[in-house]
Order: sequence, then C-alpha cells, then structure tokens
Amino acid sequence: MLLGRPRMNHADLEARLNANVARTNARVRFVEEVPFGDSLRIQRWTMGNGLGVLLLRDPSAPVFSYQTWFRVGSSHETPGKTGQAHLLEHLMFNATRNHPHGEFDRLLEAAGGETNAATWVDWTCYYENLPASELGLAVHLESDRMAHLKLERQKVVSEKEVVVSERRDRVDDDVEGRVSETLYATAFGRTHPYGWPTIGWMTDIEGFTPADCREFYRTHYAPPGASVVLVGDVDPEHALSLLQEHYGPLRGPARPEAPAVPRSRQRAERRKIVRWPTPTPKLAVGWHAPPYGDFDHAVLTLIDQLLVGGRSSRLYLDLVREREIASEVRMSLAPFQHGGLVDLWISAREGHPVARSLAVVEKHLARLRRELVSEDELDKVKNRLELGFIGALETAQGKADQIGFCETVASDPRHTFVRLEEYRRVTPEDVRRVARAVFVDARRTLVEVVPTTRGRA
Amino acid sequence: MSRRARASGARWTTDAGIGVLLEESHALPLVDVDLILRAGALHDPVGKEGLARLAARMLRMGTRKLTSDAVDEAIDAMGASVSIDVGHGTTRIHASVIRRSLPALFDLLGSLLRAPALRASDLGLLQRETVSDLLSQRDNDRWLAGRAFRGHLFGDHPYGRPAVGSAATVVASTRKDVEAYLETHLVAPGLTIGVSGAVTESDLKALIDRAFGALRTGQPQPMAVAAPRVQRGRRVLVIDKPDRTQTQVFVGTLGTRFRDPVFYPLVVANTVFGGTFTSRLVREVRGERGWSYAASSRLGVDRQREAWALYTHPSNEHVADCIALELGLIDAFVEQGITAEELAAARSFLVKSHAFDRDTASKRLEPRLEGEIHGLPEAFYSRYVEHVGGVTVEQARDAVRSRLSARDLSIVLVASAAEVAGPLAKLPGVAQVEVVPFDAV
Repeated sequence: MLLGRPRMNHADLEARLNANVARTNARVRFVEEVPFGDSLRIQRWTMGNGLGVLLLRDPSAPVFSYQTWFRVGSSHETPGKTGQAHLLEHLMFNATRNHPHGEFDRLLEAAGGETNAATWVDWTCYYENLPASELGLAVHLESDRMAHLKLERQKVVSEKEVVVSERRDRVDDDVEGRVSETLYATAFGRTHPYGWPTIGWMTDIEGFTPADCREFYRTHYAPPGASVVLVGDVDPEHALSLLQEHYGPLRGPARPEAPAVPRSRQRAERRKIVRWPTPTPKLAVGWHAPPYGDFDHAVLTLIDQLLVGGRSSRLYLDLVREREIASEVRMSLAPFQHGGLVDLWISAREGHPVARSLAVVEKHLARLRRELVSEDELDKVKNRLELGFIGALETAQGKADQIGFCETVASDPRHTFVRLEEYRRVTPEDVRRVARAVFVDARRTLVEVVPTTRGRA
Repeated sequence: MSRRARASGARWTTDAGIGVLLEESHALPLVDVDLILRAGALHDPVGKEGLARLAARMLRMGTRKLTSDAVDEAIDAMGASVSIDVGHGTTRIHASVIRRSLPALFDLLGSLLRAPALRASDLGLLQRETVSDLLSQRDNDRWLAGRAFRGHLFGDHPYGRPAVGSAATVVASTRKDVEAYLETHLVAPGLTIGVSGAVTESDLKALIDRAFGALRTGQPQPMAVAAPRVQRGRRVLVIDKPDRTQTQVFVGTLGTRFRDPVFYPLVVANTVFGGTFTSRLVREVRGERGWSYAASSRLGVDRQREAWALYTHPSNEHVADCIALELGLIDAFVEQGITAEELAAARSFLVKSHAFDRDTASKRLEPRLEGEIHGLPEAFYSRYVEHVGGVTVEQARDAVRSRLSARDLSIVLVASAAEVAGPLAKLPGVAQVEVVPFDAV
C-alpha cells in the first residue's frame, strides 16, 4: 500500500500562489489531480509561460527526484544533422550566463545530488536526485540552463569528442549496437526519423558547429515544450512558489510543430549482413510494432514475455535449454510514440548456424498465429510483468521516470497504471490477433552477423 | 531461538543456526530475499575453478520431485525472479517476488536447498552453457579487459581467478565434486538470510522455519585467504583484438580491505580522484580533453586488499597520451594527496548523498548483510556519516601514500595491438609490454 496524505483545496492554493504575482508567465493554474496507485496522487499544473508541472508528494524517504522532460528527440532532427538532440543534451552540463563551466556539477555534488540525462527518439530528459532540503538548488539550476546556456566553441568541440567516444563504445566497437543501428536504418530507411540512430551518424556528429547547437537550443528548449516532474518528500506549495520564482521570468517561442513521422511502407522482407570479429554468428530480426499508446503495444509486450521472458519462456526453453543451439535469445519492443520495431536477438552457439535458430523461431511464431495461448501461460507472463511494474516504482526516481515518460509519449502521467490494467485485460484472442498482424514475413528485416575471426573455447 | 533488536531492523538466529536480518517496509507489495552462503570461488580447487558457481547453479536445477524446467516454470508463474551470484567469499541467491507469492517462493527455495537433485545430466547442461557463455563474452571488450586486469594484478592469488572459471576448468568438475562441495559448505550455520520489503517479523519467522528448519547443520568451513602481494613495476598487457576503433584501459594496483584502519580516508580520497563527475580523472580525461566518454576510479574491498582501478576507453590515437595523463595524475595523487577544498567537497557529497543509500528497504538491508557476512562491527556502517565526515586532509594523504603505489601498476588494454602497442613501451616507468590474442584470455 502506498502512503499518502489528505487532498488539499487546489483553488485556495492557486489563489495564494498567484496573489502577489504580476507577471503572467509566472502565474500557475491548477489543471487536475489524478490517482497514481492506491493512495498517491499526481497534481497537474501549468504556468503562464506554458511550462507543464506534475507533482507527486511521496514522503517514503527524505529525498526527491526533479526531472525536466523536453518533447524533442532524434526524430525532430533532419538528415545531415542527426545526433543534434543528443549532443545538446551533453552540452547542457556546461556553462550558463550565471554559472561558469563545471559549477553545475560542483553545486549538485556538494549538495549530495546525482544528475544525468537521456535522449531518445521522442524526448530528452534531465534529472537531479537530491536530499529533500535541496529543492531550491534543483529549481534554480534547471531553470537557469533552460534559458541561459552558453554554447562556446571550445566546449562544443571537446563535447563532440566525448560523443564520438560514446558512439565508438556503444556502436562502432559493439556488435549489438552496430546491428541495432543497421536494423533500424534498413527497416525504416536512413531518411526516416526512426531510421537514424539517436547518437547520430559519425559524419554528422563531427560536422556540428556552435551555430547549429544554438539554433536547436533556441527552437526546442523553452517552457512550452517542457514538463517538470517532481516526486518526493516535498511540499507542493513550496515547490510551486519556487517554480514561479525561477521559471516565471522565462518565456520562449511556441513549441514547434511535431515532426511528421510517416508509417513504414515496408512490403517485402529486407536483409543485411554485418561482418564482425566475433566467435559466433548472430541474428537480429525486426518487425514493425504499434505506437506505445496503443492497446496492441501492451499485447505485444505480453507476447515478448511469452517468447523470451524468463527461463520458462518458449524460445529460451527451445533454443537455449532443449536444442542447445543458441546461447542467448532476447526481444526488445520499442516504446516509441509512432511505433518502432519489436526485434529479436539470437546469439548462436558455436557450430550452429543462425538459420537453424530462425527456423525454430518461425515455428513458434506460426504457433502463436494459429493457436490460442492457455490462460495459465498468460497468467504467468502477467505475473512477471506485474513484478517488473512494482519494482520500477520503488524509488522517487523510478516514479518520476514513469510519470515523465508516460506524459511525454502517451499524454497521460498515470499511463503506467493504465498499462498494468491493459495487461490484465489481454485475452488469448488478443495475443493471436496481434501475432497475426505483426509477425508478417513481408514486414520483417533481418541482420545477420557473420564472424570474421573465430575464438577458441 | 535468540533475538537481539537493532535500531535499523530485526535480527535473529533460527534454531538451526541460520542468521536472519529483516528490513521491513510495506510501501509496495514487493519482497526481496537474499540467501547468502559463506563459501565461494576461494574454495575452488586448483584446476577446477568455477566449481562453486556450478554448485550454486545446480541448486536451481530441481529436486527429486521437481525437474529444472518445473522450477523455472514455478518461479515465473509466481511473479518472481531468481538470480545467483558467486563471488570469492560468498554465494548469493537473490529473489524478488510479489508479496502474495512469498510463501510459495520460500517453500520452493527451501526444497531446493534441502534436497537438490544434482542430476549429472543437469550438470552437463550447465557446463555446456557456461563454456558457450564464456565464448560469447569475448564480444564484450570491457569484460575481456576487466578479466585480464584481475589476472594481471593478482597473478596466482585466488583474487586473480575468475569465479566463472575457464572452459577447461569448468568441464573438469564432476557430479561428485559438486555433491562434495555442497556437503561441505551448504550447512545452516553458514547461511545468512536477508529479507527486505512487505513482510512482518512473525510471518517471516514462520516461513523461514518451515522452509529451512530441516536444513543440514554442521560447521561452516573457515574462510582463509592470504594477503595478495604487489607485483613490482609498471607492467603493460595488451589483449589484441582486431578492428577496434578505441581501447579499453584498466590501470590499477592493490587497494584496501574491510579492516583497514585507513579504509574511510581512502574512500574519501578516491572520491576526489575518480569517484564523481567533478573528480580529477573525469575532469582531465573527459571534461578538458574529451578523450573518453567513461572515466572512473573504483576502490574495491574484501577480506584482503582488493584492487584500486582506473577505467577509461580512449580512441586509438589518444591511448598513449591518455595513459600518460593517468600515470601523471596517480603520481600527483600519491605524492601530494588531496587539497582541503577537494576534501570538503568530497565529504559533503558522501555525507549528503547517504540519503540515497537508505531510500529503499533493500538498500538499508545491504550494509547490514555485508557487516554480518564479513563480521564487521556494527559501527562500521551505522556510523558511516561520522567516519566519512571526520576524515582530514592529512589522513587522506597518509592513507593514499601508505596503500596506493604509483610505481607498481598493472596497465591492461583491449585494443588492436598493431595500432597502439608501439608508444606504450615509452610510457614513464614501463619496463615491459606483453601482447596476447583476445581468444587466449
């Protein structure tokens, strides 16, 4: 049972907060209060300048997580400028008009804080986890860098080097990273917003100028394109008054129109080969998946678990345990606003061609399309998903992650609980219907890894 | 049954001699269970490295009445996850479970530990899986570098032997070896159970007594491990792997142990050196030069002195310069220690961020478990804030000088040797550069 406290009168609170506020941008408006589980509640507020605010008071530990979710990610970039959202995420930890380079991290560390950020196709998220007494510092630093970032030439150059290093680590020297990049580029095409990697193509990263970064920052980093998510042992009235004080002076251009993300028109199977110094062959297969907000995305999550979730899952049992022809089998379902891929990764055992594993996979997919799964097996994967759902809510950061992601991608901060209910509603007929719709050979892409060297056991 | 109360949570010993620690929290319907056995890879016979890990994994492979597939099915069906981790001195079975399935989980774990089937066919399956996994891990450059670094630093000492073993030693273990290992080490007084989450003390007592009350008693084997010795000089090992665009680099030496009187001064000093984003190493390697996305130093700890290790992954063109920079930073660290300003910042960070070491029940339990397993005084962790907050500049400087050697360093790289090996011999103080192929690690 989650802890909570009595509901407050929001009209009175709104009146108190706005009583002596002249600036329109700084005025706050209560929008709604929605449940987050049995006894916690999310308050949604907006500021006059368009900033969205989501507050969840959670007194279970004397800490808070402060997150800023910008509705901009790699899908908002253009060919030739890929990786811009991610590079800017790195640069956001540099100097502002009010703080020299390095001070952002120094102040947060001195306060016992942890900070980081992440970028993906639909969003960019920044967070600070701090002791409850340090809320003012988080609000000050985040509002400052939303409006006053200095993008100096020297720092853009050195941060590009860091991103190049990150790309080499995650992609150029990593077989899974390289395969994932190849899979998405092949399935969507290199000019589709989901077809280029979030980290960007190497030539694009190397080509960015300070002017490119300033333009992207001015266009996308402003209150109308952002939501602040605050979860923890904080008083909402105090938090809102701090937001008024620090974000009130900010304003920015209206949020730019969301990019057009066309649906994939793949009508025939696509194949690629990657040659790599690896001891065993590997195979990735991707099928086009529904958008995150769709009920069918929840159904596909259950199918993922049926096939590879846990040691009793169908593909793990068959490929790894019984036939012993694969050392690893995994699936990944992209949680993208407009629908990404559901992809399967198989690492074959030495001496066993991946074609054998693929034949077994096809047999299982055909069974899913043909037969109804039993209620017992469905209940098993629902229990596994419930365990993961509960585990994700243990900390203030875990709750804030869920709220911010769901608000940004599904326009509903409590969607994680909606998703749990959707899992519970899924029927054997849903599983068969979605399997028939998704696992179509003409809409799949295969990337095979062919070893260029052999390792001894 | 005896019981003594602790401010942070309950602790008791069962009639069978099992130590139990509970950190209760009903914030979520979730329970974490840790079964920790005081035995691990240190007990592996030479030539049969990996035996402790195989034995632990055999515990999950069923009972006379349950096949391994039935065990896996039961775990997944109850909404639980179970993992097994074997270190040098401990074997840990960790489970997370939805509260409503806790009794079923304890019943299953109890039956697996009381009467494991130990089928020869299951052992063969695990051996083949392990050999296959070892081969697959060669795709992971950081894993390769880390494994080679420990072997290079510790040499023949047991800390240099990986708990997973090697392909040759894993297949050398027999069913009789596994049976004898468990016969010796799987006894109630050698087991500690840690539980955190939504369960009361009285409910937990009943569950543990039912599941583990009949676990075999006996004397746990003493855990003796000699102190590792520093190998002299700055020695370089290059793990040669083709087509690398960057290099994985570990640089390190012997560090500290639990009962080291300068443990906390070293913790503070390492925080200054490479423990945070504003630390010297991160600032110089990443912030100023952009040479490596990741940069950190880690201070390991165990019964005997563990490793102090720096990690970076510069591109091939910057490898020699990056390692030279790291050597210079280590020289300055050992000769001059840290400044008062650095000390104040590190102490403040460690003291204030301690709130995040205690924001969930499982995090609150972890130091209590570690103290219990290693026989540490309660104040070792419970007075963490005073320990860290009381460190002085002089204590930090003396601790670094007395424990960390700038002269005796293992430098281990995974790289395309032809592209990077040449300049390495010219690094200050480096006497030898050895190159081995990646599939020999």
